[in-house]
Amino acid sequence: MIGDTLLLQVAAVTDIAPGLRHLRLVAADGGKLPPAAAGAHVQFVLEGAARTWRNAYSLVSRPGARDAWEIIVRRVPASRGGSAFIHEQLEVGDRLLAGWPGNLFAPVRIARHHLMIAGGIGITPFLSYLAEFGFTGAGHALHVCCRESEKDVFAPWLGSSPAVAFHWDADGHRLDIPALLASQPAGTHLYVCGPAAMNDEVMAAAAVAGWPASHVHCEHFGSALFGGEAFRAFLVRSGIELEVAEDESLLDAIERAGVAAPCLCRGGACGVCVTPLLEGEAEHRDHFLSADERAAGRLIMPCVSRARAGRLVLDL
Amino acid sequence: MLHSDIKSRPTYRALEPDLAAAGHLLVIEAATLQPGGLAGLADAFAPVVANLHTWLVGEALAAPGLGKPWHLPAVADVVDALACATRGYGIGDRLYVQGTEPFLWSVATAAAIVGFGPGQLQLCHAGSLQRRVWCTHCHGVTEQVTTNVVPCAGCGRHLLVRDHFSRRLGAFMGVMVDAEAPGEIPAIEEVFA
Amino acid sequence: MSIAFKPEETFRGDYSYRNSDAAILRFPFPFPEDKYMYSVNIEPHVRSGPSDVFIRPFDVDEHYIAECRDRAITLERDPGRCQVLPHMMLAQWDTLELLMENLSADYPEHFSLTKEGDDFGSRWTWTNRPLGIEQSFIFGDAATLPCEPFEYITRQAQGDFAICDQRDDNLYMDAGMVTSQADWSLEFDVGMSFMEWHGPVPLAHQTGVFERALKYLLMLRLGQPVRRLNWTMTINPRLDTSPESFPEWGTDRASVTPDNAGSKVHLRVELQTLWRLPRSNAILFPIRCYLASLDDLARVPKWGARLHRVLSSLPPQLVEYKGLTRYLPAALAWLSRHDDGAELPIGTEAGVDTLT
Ligand code: HEM
Ligand code: FES
Repeated sequence: MIGDTLLLQVAAVTDIAPGLRHLRLVAADGGKLPPAAAGAHVQFVLEGAARTWRNAYSLVSRPGARDAWEIIVRRVPASRGGSAFIHEQLEVGDRLLAGWPGNLFAPVRIARHHLMIAGGIGITPFLSYLAEFGFTGAGHALHVCCRESEKDVFAPWLGSSPAVAFHWDADGHRLDIPALLASQPAGTHLYVCGPAAMNDEVMAAAAVAGWPASHVHCEHFGSALFGGEAFRAFLVRSGIELEVAEDESLLDAIERAGVAAPCLCRGGACGVCVTPLLEGEAEHRDHFLSADERAAGRLIMPCVSRARAGRLVLDL
Repeated sequence: MLHSDIKSRPTYRALEPDLAAAGHLLVIEAATLQPGGLAGLADAFAPVVANLHTWLVGEALAAPGLGKPWHLPAVADVVDALACATRGYGIGDRLYVQGTEPFLWSVATAAAIVGFGPGQLQLCHAGSLQRRVWCTHCHGVTEQVTTNVVPCAGCGRHLLVRDHFSRRLGAFMGVMVDAEAPGEIPAIEEVFA
Repeated sequence: MSIAFKPEETFRGDYSYRNSDAAILRFPFPFPEDKYMYSVNIEPHVRSGPSDVFIRPFDVDEHYIAECRDRAITLERDPGRCQVLPHMMLAQWDTLELLMENLSADYPEHFSLTKEGDDFGSRWTWTNRPLGIEQSFIFGDAATLPCEPFEYITRQAQGDFAICDQRDDNLYMDAGMVTSQADWSLEFDVGMSFMEWHGPVPLAHQTGVFERALKYLLMLRLGQPVRRLNWTMTINPRLDTSPESFPEWGTDRASVTPDNAGSKVHLRVELQTLWRLPRSNAILFPIRCYLASLDDLARVPKWGARLHRVLSSLPPQLVEYKGLTRYLPAALAWLSRHDDGAELPIGTEAGVDTLT
């Protein structure tokens, strides 16, 4: 079980509601997929005609499934456009590249009870949670806030769990968040995934109800995803100009150009790749440089760090 | 061989009520109280006294300003009381414990079993620095250790008391001091009084 | 790949453990330079490296059967060497799957795994030919195995194992199978956080080694295991150098002389790998231990000389922490005969194809 990217093939596409599309993806070579945990996401490379998107979606397939992965994608009209691509362009038989599963939102397994609050499509990570809790027998409750018209859409993944309640914006159906959070036993962990405003409201209500921060978890993609904006770099000693793509590290680009740069961990921890930065401003993502070294701006760790703006000139 | 800055060694601080919390349970080992200690706690907990329960363990002292305290004879009774408290504890509750290190960790372990997470728990060391020592060889526990080397209550070996600390056992590690050269036992000194 | 196992060798009593010439040549010698200090020496666990112990993610060698037997003896005497906290059941199955899949794929002559499905609830059949085991069980149902899944599979693997649960931006050592450790106690450490269990290590906290290592590990990705080498010294080829049994092996440290150091003193190298586990999101930490006597090592001239230099310049805090104080002078006296002072190339490779 070693690998980093996979080629997938779309095995089925189903529109489960207006603006909600379910995809079933299999390994393009007919082999097995790596198993994934509850709360896992996968980053997909979506190659549009004019540009490429890298969007991460929660897996809603059973944790540990190796025959196929499933995702549910809401079409977001105003956003980066990857979801529109999935809704308009992607067809059965198409192939796409994906990363191995990551997980920034795993359930806390020492919890005595799991309380989940989902807003709309934010239900997706919890579908895999439910499958896990069904297997392990862990106590749980899921509260879903959605449009009334969408409350039956997820039924195929919910089974007949009595621990799932739906709420929508009508008298008698709204979720009373403060009341829910005030009455939870010690040892409960709270997970929230939904629109930013709802996440903030739940987190604030939890703080008011005295929840320790260690027991409140919010799904947020972004910070840990690989890559970033493309940028340029110049290696003075080798005289090479580089184009660092969105999905590769500066170190990858240096190696691609045939320059042997020292490295070890490739994750910003060991310090081996430290390189003098002669010009340009770095976006530091490592754990190695001290605050003073970062402020001085004369060093960069190419295995993880990128350009904040413009071109980087390295003594390499 | 006595490592002084071992990172497993817990640090303790004065108790301070968490104003965001819903309920407050204060558990005090009475024998470790300094004169005026209860008054100091009463001052500190005054803002939350309406939602405060105090358990005094050992001597039955009067505790003005700390609600209506409940008296418990020994730490074992605290462990039982936590386990069977019928009302149950909420995620918004906080537990504050003051006493010797073995007392603190006996209560902390019992609290963890009923669901208190580290973020709901404050521990303040008071009284003697005596240690509970866990023998790595026979896994027996020697209580109230005040010396750098102590005969194990379980197997009788002379144990060097290290600073490495296990929260789960509430104990410091004891390792046979003369395992390399039997009989070579260093001078025994009173160090954790 | 066929391995000539040495099922009769022992790691206690008469200590009949010996390395073949091939085993010496593939020893994962840990010192690329003449000096050693703690660092975040972590790198991707790719299928290549300066020694062929790196070629397969879980290396099996000629000592496999004897090591499994030694583990069974230790567990018989002290079942507490295997500890699993209750919330680690998914991680137990993850470990079993990872080991069975890798061993059967890399050593098909010795191990095989047949599955009726990949999900929990599927029937699997595991065959371990060197140990003569054939076991059919339901993946995900512990009652269908003779013991819990983590204990089951790690009894059939070389090296120690710990599993760390990840929560609260920290790692907790919530399970382990530890019968060949360099003097630390699983029963004492189980449940501790990363900084707590590393508490006794000198110098590395102060230089930020553990802080950086922890941040890196929290981001460890599924499918991208990493590795590092750690080392210490052991008197006699003994696997069970636990604090539990220290009264049994402690006096061995006083038995070393400049004349017997070559056969008594062993360099003990741990190939530690770190794996994100798929269902539990925990991290598996296998600690694969390799032992070579000074006699063995000095047959590779570069290694004998380098070890002499590393040990003579080792910071005193490390000498004490690793428990070398009592016999280091004798070991150095022995090793000095194998060090002519000539400059040695950087790197850990043996630099020879046959032994002197
Ligand atoms: C996450 C899995 C890990 C586990 C379970 C683990 C466990 C341990 C334990 C139990 C010890 C012995 C401490 C004692 O004396 O009681 C130790 C020592 C040590 N660990 Fe780790 N460790 C892990 C990862 C790492 C990593 C990633 C590093 C990287 C820098 C590291 C560096 C060290 C060092 C330098 C020592 C001292 C070893 C010696 O000098 O013999 N550990 N570790
Ligand atoms: S390679 Fe380790 S910090 Fe860059």
